[in-house]
Amino acid sequence: MTSSVPLTSPPFAWPHGSLDKGKVVQCALSRVCGGCGTSLGRPIAFLGTTEEVDRNAFHAPPLHEACARALRETGIAGASVVLTAGFEYVRPTADALDRRPTFVPNSIIGPA
Amino acid sequence: MAIADVAEYAHLTKDEVEQLGREFDAIRAEIEESRGAKDAAYINKVITTQRWMAAGARIGMIVSSPFPRARKPVLAASAVTLGLAKILENMEIGHNVMHGQWDWMNDPEIHSSTWEWDTGQPAEQWKHSHNYIHHQFTNVLGVDNDIGYGVLRMAREQKWTPVALGQPVYNALLAALFQWGVALHDLDLEAIRKGQKDPEEMKRQLKQIAKKGRNQILKDYVLYPALSGKEWKSTIKANATANLMRNIWSYLIIFCGHFPDGALHFTEEELEDETRAEWYLRQIFGTANIEGGPLFHVMSGNLSYQIEHHLFPDLPSNRYAEISPRVQALCEKYGIPYSSGPLHRQYGQVLRTVMKLSLPNKMTKDDRPPTGADITIEHRRKAEEERQIRRTELGGWSRSAS
Ligand SMILES: [Zn+2]
Repeated sequence: MTSSVPLTSPPFAWPHGSLDKGKVVQCALSRVCGGCGTSLGRPIAFLGTTEEVDRNAFHAPPLHEACARALRETGIAGASVVLTAGFEYVRPTADALDRRPTFVPNSIIGPA
Repeated sequence: MAIADVAEYAHLTKDEVEQLGREFDAIRAEIEESRGAKDAAYINKVITTQRWMAAGARIGMIVSSPFPRARKPVLAASAVTLGLAKILENMEIGHNVMHGQWDWMNDPEIHSSTWEWDTGQPAEQWKHSHNYIHHQFTNVLGVDNDIGYGVLRMAREQKWTPVALGQPVYNALLAALFQWGVALHDLDLEAIRKGQKDPEEMKRQLKQIAKKGRNQILKDYVLYPALSGKEWKSTIKANATANLMRNIWSYLIIFCGHFPDGALHFTEEELEDETRAEWYLRQIFGTANIEGGPLFHVMSGNLSYQIEHHLFPDLPSNRYAEISPRVQALCEKYGIPYSSGPLHRQYGQVLRTVMKLSLPNKMTKDDRPPTGADITIEHRRKAEEERQIRRTELGGWSRSAS
């Protein structure tokens, strides 16, 4: 269930205003929320731009639904939230122009 | 050593490494696409079986208590059944569910965010120390605490002190008390020894461990024994036996996954800007498989397919068996080692390392490919402040910092 843990300030995965690579990996693997840094819930939320939603690949790490809604208001990573039960963590390849890891929701429940 | 220094890797061009990466990607995509009802039925069946085993064992211990003649055989069978149930829960179910292998099912219970397992370590701390630190920094000296669990010297690069002389004893104790060794894992004993651990985070973690540990002890050593009435003492013994079985088994499987001679150690520097293909390679070089039959693989949580698990930690464990020959064929095609052997051989090598590394390096010969000529962990840590920054980023004690 969605927890109502408050966002930390700055958000856990954005310690200096922009996404921190190390924190993103930590969120992905230890399954903690990029907003508040505590254990994820179910469903898992992804926040992104409409392009990210369309190609189903996000740069921002997994979030609590409540944290995603709160972060959406800040405009830090886009205006769309997608809910999913699970996701794939995709590491960058050598030929990728954008060398950030991405997240691919694999069991989408719907938008939030 | 830097991954480029691995002899078996040095012959590959950058393009070949990326090509190999694409071949692994293809395997991954295939399993992701075919993942479905059959896999869900598998994990549901394992969980149902495990629960019946645990329930049968607990009931056996209670109902046999008034019958002196039946007590002994029923109690023995119950203890063994409970031990097997705990092994199944920790290895094939808990470990894999917490990796998110079954999240795609959208099951409210079988999900990485909700599963809490039957062992001393809180799930949250496991997901940090294992899923993140161990799987991201696999066999990286000074970061991956699975190298010796903060208790044993398992790499020649770790500085020798006379304390290491006691290794054979610490090793036996770690095996027997493994659930408690794992419980303390995310505390990062080395950081505490060096005074680098954030006291607030340590307090928070200790509180969590104490709560989980107390519940485990209450269940096995107070509640269920109390239900056996006058026979409470023998039920305590049976539960202790079950826990010991689980401890020794999980210790064996975990140690055989990373410490046989074929598994290499790495240094932190090479992680920067690593590509997916390089990451795949580092996982193969740092890991070893254990050979056995289908039941052996299930009871090891399919961690006997340690190489496949490290390549694809979040794919369903029941699929590792089918991809294993393909991974092996790719290793052969690209001329890289696929380290595998039966349990007795793999553990034999582990034990030899435990014994040898209890002595100073100059007194013994290295059995594995050398991990870099004169690197020592102390040497590698050029600037403590630099390291401090790095480790804060690593987390564990990062939450309170943000
Ligand atoms: Zn959150």
